[in-house]
This record gives sequence, C-alpha cells and structure tokens, in this order.
Amino acid sequence: MTQVTRIVGRSVPRMDAPGKVTGTALYAADFALPGMLYGRVLRSHEPHARLVRLDTSRAARLPGVRAVITAPDVPDVRYGGSVKDERVLARDRIRFAGQPLAAVAATSPDAAAAALAAIEVVCEPLVPVLDVAAALAPGAPLVHEAWASYTALPILHRDRNVCNRARIVVGDVERGFVEADRIFENRFTTSSVHQGYTEPRAAVAQWDSSGLVTVWSNTQLPFEIQTTLAEILQLPPSKVRIIVPGIGGGFGGKLRIGMEHFAALLAMRTGRPVKVMTTSEEELTAAYPRQPAIVEVKTGVTNDGRLTAREARLWFDTGAFAGSGPGVASVATLMLAGPYRIPNLLLEGFAVYTNKTNFGSFRAPSGPQANFAVESQMDIIADALGLDPLELRLKNIVREGEEGPTGQVLTAVGLEECLRRAADAIGWRDRRPRAGRGKGIACGWWTTTGGSSGVYVKINPDGTVALNTGAAEIGTAALTGAAQVLAEDLGVQLADINVVSADTLSTPYDFGAQGSRTAFAVGNACRAAVADLKRQILALASKHLGVEEHALALREGSVVGEGKRTTLGELARISQASGGGLIAHGTFVAPPTPYDAKRVEGHVYPAFHSPSFHAHAADLSVDAETGEITIHRYVVAQDVGFAVNPAAIEGQIEGGVAQGLGQALSEEIVYENGRVLNANLTDYKMPTTLDVPRVESILVQHPTLVGPFGAKGVGEPPNIEPPAAIANAVASATGVRITTLPITAEKVALALRARAT
Amino acid sequence: MTFDYHEPTSLREAIELGARFGVDGRFLAGGTDLMVQIHRGRLNPRHVVSLQCVPGLDAIEVDGAISLGARVTHRRIETTTDFQGALRALVEGAEVVGGHQVRNVATVGGNIVNASPAADVVVVLLALEARLTSLGPAGERTIALDGFGTAPGVTVLRPNELLTRASFPRLAPRTATAFLKAGRRRAMEISIACVAARLTLDAALERCQDVRIALGAVAPTAMRARSAERYLEGRPLTDEVTREAGRIAATECRPIGDVRASARYRALLVATLVPRVLARCLERIRFHTS
Repeated sequence: MTQVTRIVGRSVPRMDAPGKVTGTALYAADFALPGMLYGRVLRSHEPHARLVRLDTSRAARLPGVRAVITAPDVPDVRYGGSVKDERVLARDRIRFAGQPLAAVAATSPDAAAAALAAIEVVCEPLVPVLDVAAALAPGAPLVHEAWASYTALPILHRDRNVCNRARIVVGDVERGFVEADRIFENRFTTSSVHQGYTEPRAAVAQWDSSGLVTVWSNTQLPFEIQTTLAEILQLPPSKVRIIVPGIGGGFGGKLRIGMEHFAALLAMRTGRPVKVMTTSEEELTAAYPRQPAIVEVKTGVTNDGRLTAREARLWFDTGAFAGSGPGVASVATLMLAGPYRIPNLLLEGFAVYTNKTNFGSFRAPSGPQANFAVESQMDIIADALGLDPLELRLKNIVREGEEGPTGQVLTAVGLEECLRRAADAIGWRDRRPRAGRGKGIACGWWTTTGGSSGVYVKINPDGTVALNTGAAEIGTAALTGAAQVLAEDLGVQLADINVVSADTLSTPYDFGAQGSRTAFAVGNACRAAVADLKRQILALASKHLGVEEHALALREGSVVGEGKRTTLGELARISQASGGGLIAHGTFVAPPTPYDAKRVEGHVYPAFHSPSFHAHAADLSVDAETGEITIHRYVVAQDVGFAVNPAAIEGQIEGGVAQGLGQALSEEIVYENGRVLNANLTDYKMPTTLDVPRVESILVQHPTLVGPFGAKGVGEPPNIEPPAAIANAVASATGVRITTLPITAEKVALALRARAT
Repeated sequence: MTFDYHEPTSLREAIELGARFGVDGRFLAGGTDLMVQIHRGRLNPRHVVSLQCVPGLDAIEVDGAISLGARVTHRRIETTTDFQGALRALVEGAEVVGGHQVRNVATVGGNIVNASPAADVVVVLLALEARLTSLGPAGERTIALDGFGTAPGVTVLRPNELLTRASFPRLAPRTATAFLKAGRRRAMEISIACVAARLTLDAALERCQDVRIALGAVAPTAMRARSAERYLEGRPLTDEVTREAGRIAATECRPIGDVRASARYRALLVATLVPRVLARCLERIRFHTS
C-alpha cells in the first residue's frame, strides 16, 4: 500500500525537542510555587512487622516542620486498580521495607529529612514472605490475612497469597504431548529491574478556597490519578485536578499513584503548597519496578520441528500489593504462547503477594520475562533437533488470517518478513564464525493497548491550530506523531499546530500514555476531529465564497474552489464573529478484538489489539575466561504497520534496546531478607553509552486497518526481545545456556568453568 | 548535615586548621568521595577544610623520582604526556574511574586517603612502590603506600595530618606497566577486581628481572601479590608461567562476596587478569626496546 503523504511517514523533528535540548522544557521536578513546603515520606525498615507505635512528637517540634501525618490523619481508605488492598500509610501492619509510615512537610528539604529522622518507630517484626516459593508453600503466612474480604475485580481468580491466576486453555495439552516426538521442559528466572526514568517521581499540590486540589505531577495517567486521588481524599473527582507539566521518562513506572496523595494530604494539613519528590533510594526500594518472574515451559515438538503442545506457568512476584500484577499476569499468558501456531495450550500466569515493594508495569509488562523463557526454549529445541533456530521459528510462526492463542484472527502479520530481514542483516548464514563468537535471534508479538481518547481541535484566527488532548507527551514523540496525523488530514503544516495536554479540568479524557497507544489512539481521535472540522469549514467557506461545498477543497491552510480562495484563518475569524469559532471534538476507542471467551479464565487482557510483530538479532563475543560479553552488532526488524515518524520510531527502538540490554546483562534489584542491597545508582547498573552497540533498525510495514494510516503501537516492543536474543547469542558463542537474568559475566564465566570440569 | 566550611590559602594555615579540628575536621580535595559520604550520613564532620586555594598541592614532577601532588586530578594523570609510555598503567587506572565530571575533580590524594580497596589509581601506585608524604604540626613524614590503608576507609594517617604527595622511583630500563579492571559495565564502574603490574625484563628480554603486582577489590585494602611476584622473579615469561602466577595471586588474595560479585568470581578474575596484565607489560617492553 503506497500513500502519498506530506507530513506523516516523514522523519520530522519532534515538537518537544527544542525545549528539551535547550533546557527550557518544564518538568514536574522543576515545578515550584511561592510559599511551597517540602514533603518527605518516612518508610519502614522492616519487610514485615506489626506497627506498634509511631511517636511523632519530637519531629513535630523541630524548627521548620509544619506537619507530620500518620495513618489516623488520613481517610481510612483502601484503594487499588484491580484489588483494593493498599493504604496511603501503614495502619497496624507493615508489609514491605519501604512502605510509607508517615509523611512530613517542612520549610526546607533538610528540615523535612531531620523530621523523618526524629520520628520514633516501634514495631514487632514478623516472619517475612521473601519470595514466590515461600508465598506458595503450604501454610505460608498470608501477606494479607483479610484478602478474601477485599473489593476486587470479580473476574480475578484469587486464593490466599495469589491475587490472580490467569489461564488460557486451548485443545488438550496431554494429547498434544502424546503427538510429540520430543518434550522439552525448562525453567527460567528473571530479576526485578527499575524503569530508570531520569526524572524522579514528583508532585506539587495546592488547595484553593473552593476546596479544589490541583496536583502538578509527572504521571503518565492523569485521569486515573484523578480517580484514585479522589477516592483516597473522599472527594468527587471534579474536586481533584491533575496537570502534567512534563515528564522525564516513565516507561510504566509512573502509571500508578506516586507522590500525589502525599503532596495533597500535606498541603491540606498545612494550607500551603507542598512538593514531594523521591530520592534514588526510594526509587529502588519503594517504586513500581518490573516483577521478578519464575517461568516453567513444557513444549512438545515433532522430530521435524512442529510444535504440538505447550504447558507453561509464569509466577510474578507482585510484592505487598496487587497493583498491576493481576493484569500483567494475564498479558503474560499471551506472551507464553509466543507468536506461534500451537494447537494445544495450557498457559497460566500468577500474581503472588510477597513482602516486597509493589512490583509494577515496565515497558511491555510481562513481555521480556515470558519472551526470555519461550525464545530461549525455541533455541534449546532447535539445537536438540539439529534444526536451524531461524528455520524452527519460520516453521511455527503465525501467518496472516490465522488464530492467536485465544482465537483472535490475526491480520497484518509481518513476522516472517521481520525474521528474514533481521537474520539477513546480522549475517545469519555465518552464525558461529569462530569459537567465542555467535549470533542469536528472538521474535515476539505485542499489543497496541486500547482505551479511548478525545481531542478538541480548534482553528485559531491566524490559521494555526490548537490540539487539546488529555494525553501526556512522555518523551516518545507520540504527540508529535498525533500532530503529524492532524496536520496531514487538515492540510496544514506541523509548525502550525500547538499542543495543550494533560489537564483533567480542561482537556478531554484520555486513557493515558501507556501500552504503546498514544500516537495510535490520539492520532485517530485527531482524524475524527478533522472530519468534523472539515464539514464546518466547508459549510462556512461555501457560504463565504458562494461556491457549492462539493466544489471546494482544503489545501495548504486554504479552502479553494472555482478559482476562489479563502484561508483557514479568515474562516476562523468569521466563525468567531458569528458562530463561536471553529472547534471539533474528535474521539476514538479501539474496536473490541473478538476472541473465544471459553479459552480464558481470570483474564483481564484476553486479546492483543492491532498486534505488532518483531525480531531481534545480536552478534556478540564472549571472553572465555572472564565471561565478559561484547556486542558487535544488534539488529531490530519491527513491524510498525505504518511509520508515522521513522526517526522517532528508530529512537524508540534504540532506547528500548538499550533498556532491554540492561535487563539482559547488568540490571537487577538485589534483595536479601526482604531488603534491597543496591538501592543506589552506583550498584544498580544501568548500561552506559559504552555498553550499548549501535542499534540497526529495520521498519517493516504491514498496515493495520485500525491505526492512523495503518500504524501500530511502537513504543514498548523494542524492550521485549533483548534478553532472549542475547541469551541465544551467548549460547551460540559458547554452548552455555544461561537461564536466569541478568546474564552477568560472572554467570557466564562460572558456567563455562563448570562445563570445563 | 551541617558543617563549617574553611578555605585556607596556605599549607601552613591548612595544617593549623587540621590540627585545631582533629577528628571533627575533614580535608576536602575533589569531594567526590567525601561529599557522597556526608550526604549518605556515613560521615558527619563539624568542619570541612577545603584545599582548593592551597598552593603547591597540584604539581606533577617527573625529574628524578616521580611525584604527584595530592590535588592532582585523575584527568591530569590521563593527559600527562610523561605517563603515556612506560607509566601507562597510571593512565589506564585513572581513565576508568567514574565519569568525566568525576575525573575532572577527583584527586589522587583523595583516592588514597579514602582507602577504598577498589581504588584503581591506588592499585597502580602500589605496583609502582609509591611512598606518601604527609604534613602535620610535627612536620613532614613519609609513609609507604603498602600498609597505609589498614581496612576499608581506614588509614594510618593521623587526624591532624594532611597527605601532600605520592612519589615513586623512576622506572628501570626494560620496564613497563599495565592495569586492567573488571566490572559489570564499561564505564562509571567500581572494580570488582583490578590488577596492576610493573615488570622489568632481563637484558635478553626473556626473563623476569623484577616485578610488582598489585590487586584491588579482592581484600580489605589494595594489596601486593607477593607470592606471585616471588614466583615470577628469574623465570622466563611464558604463558604457562604467567598463568601460574595468576593462580598463585588468586590464592593469596582474600576477596569477599557482595552485591557486586562473588568471592569465587573475584578470585577467578585475579587468576585471569594477572597473566593478561603481564602479557601487556611484556608486549610494551618488547615494542619499546625493539
């Protein structure tokens, strides 16, 4: 499909780039108000304890301290998206080291820190539930003794420390295993990793005389925060206004409530604006990092490499609260199937409570963990059967018109092209050029998250255009993409468009910057708004020019027809004088993706909307003695449907791979007895520029019928395959298979040594 | 975190302040360790005495013995022409410390006094048999770097003394140095093990005439691998011999396991890096004398 376009499909500079590269862009962390106080949160040192007493009297008397609040000072509300199991401040039970116990507001950050140190905490330690195995053991202590009484989504399958078990059942796995010539069973584990956003979570809250609280926050989901904060404060949502001034990275870590409730409660107590911002230590101990996982995969295959059955289970450590866990466990089951045609499936995803932080969503939640397991096993199978790993994949991948695991019909399936182009680019034919050097490949699929988006589009009297959206630009260039769609359809230049965004009082609703959906959904809402605007414009132009509507056309900011011409600006001025201006409300909601409801249980995400497909290939060397890995080349072929802004998409791919390589090779939040050992950026190892090779991006384009100009979601997928691609390349280079993340030099060296002896 | 900040303008004034504050005071050079420790609440000095305006602490002398003033930054070492040849290990140790911003301010003196077992430049200086000069109210004294650190963060420097320079003898002919470190990433990394060597070959360029090997991050302090050194002296430097030296060094180091690496892996790295560092020295000597 070739489309002649002016603005979409081109690598135009991002609209937010000049402000960000010159340092003038405003972030929530920069935001300040006159008379503002500084808030801090006192956090538990114990992973599991009975809270006996909090003595705040000394802290409250310290100079500069304006408020100290503990649980009795805040409404007794339990909140949570899927299970209402969390409170703002611990009341009588402490469930993780890092849990908020009290909050203070003071005239300086130092005074606030001194107040925290002056609060006396008395608690009786309890035996902590340290990991999934301990949580599932018979007679394990319950992280939430009253779990059964909690309000929760009725669809969830909950049982004691399991806050959801999502399941997909297709065909009969036992029969599928009988049909198989060989059965492979493998176990994999992954570590928790932090989103690594540059800007800490921050919020500034201020109450006005009408009882409305405004919170400036770097949340990805202002409308969800509005609802949650209203619930916590026991207010109608209209009394809570969330504004996103700017976000220095989110990657899923800023979906759920962060500092907003502390800022709002402290501001209410003091009558002054209050700012609360996290430290690195708080980020690494008490944020929403990726869930650690245990994955067991059993796959049946015929001697010629046809997959007959898969039984797989993935257990997520969700920490002390359910949070994103039940949903992510659901998505995991679709990822365990992989982009493969397997007639018999029994796939389960579990979200399990432990005494740790509430692990959450991170760019393609569940994707890297499940893909690492499934794609590592594909190579194990290929090696055992003497097949080329690429051939094994090509034999089993889903094709156009086939069914996904839950019965959705797959269209725009560009997977074979992704695999072949990634393999060609990496030089797959020479996949073990010498001892210690090897190439690996991994592929996967992902969703373009649904949800609705609304925009207001207004023509200004000078002919420029205001795009008012509830979505936030989190640094992906997604709103540039949406504005490109708007400019394309409306016949104006991108420079003519100004964006107003993410203010729950004044902008239309948006499901938020999550799930690779912003350019897709906001772009489509823009298309709907332009369709409406065009009707208004042509009707007005027809009257003004005396030309029939059907003879008029929109071209480069003007309406032309029968030799006559007027500009959008002139029409806007006429409308302002006579009809209230040219403005349209455009909306979009992703159409439901039909699936077979009989195949799923406990599932909150049963099908992937407008799925994308991708393949990654790595070429690396392994130092046989130190185990050190050097990546020479890294190739990504990603089916993006239609590349609205190729340069921006390549940026997403490069960033996603860098983050993915961190998860593959170096990053892990290390726990010992329920406490984080490396809660600082010295020992939490995000990759540097020297650790990341140049990433070669190949944009494959199999357009969807739903996305704007055929686009699919692009932001999350590049984060999925790096761990598997690296594990497979390491195995190819050394013959050693590492089944735990991260694949550190130490693990490789010790595995090589173990094999040698 | 509050302290009084002092900015003396002469060595004498700095020493006076140091003597007056004793254990309540700390000298500030680059601040890349001190300020972090103050921020993390591990140190709480009442007085911080900046050396920023004290003249005479930032000289590099290369006539006769080589001397590095306490305030010489890592960046200066990296870019000093005289260190690009046989003293290359100094550059190799300095250029892998922290990031550019850190190296622009972090000093040799601070690195030594901080007494981290993983301090890269200290390991190189140990292989160079550096001696330290300190100045206190009682005057100057020199202290061998080997033995200066007694435990992580602990040295034999007295509270009222200021480290002023580190110096080491000129290299003999047919000598080269090298440094290698291992970490989880390629920059901004604290060594999980590092090795420095100073090797002198005999006239035939075959046998080891003299060698010093220093190890970092594998004991409570930077340490010399003396058994490995003794083993090497007089032997021809074949792969087999250098590998054996590595094995010996791995048995004499005393690593711990922590969040960065296991003790076993650290020992394995010593066994691997020692022969590699010696091979580099060998290559350099042969290149420069041929």
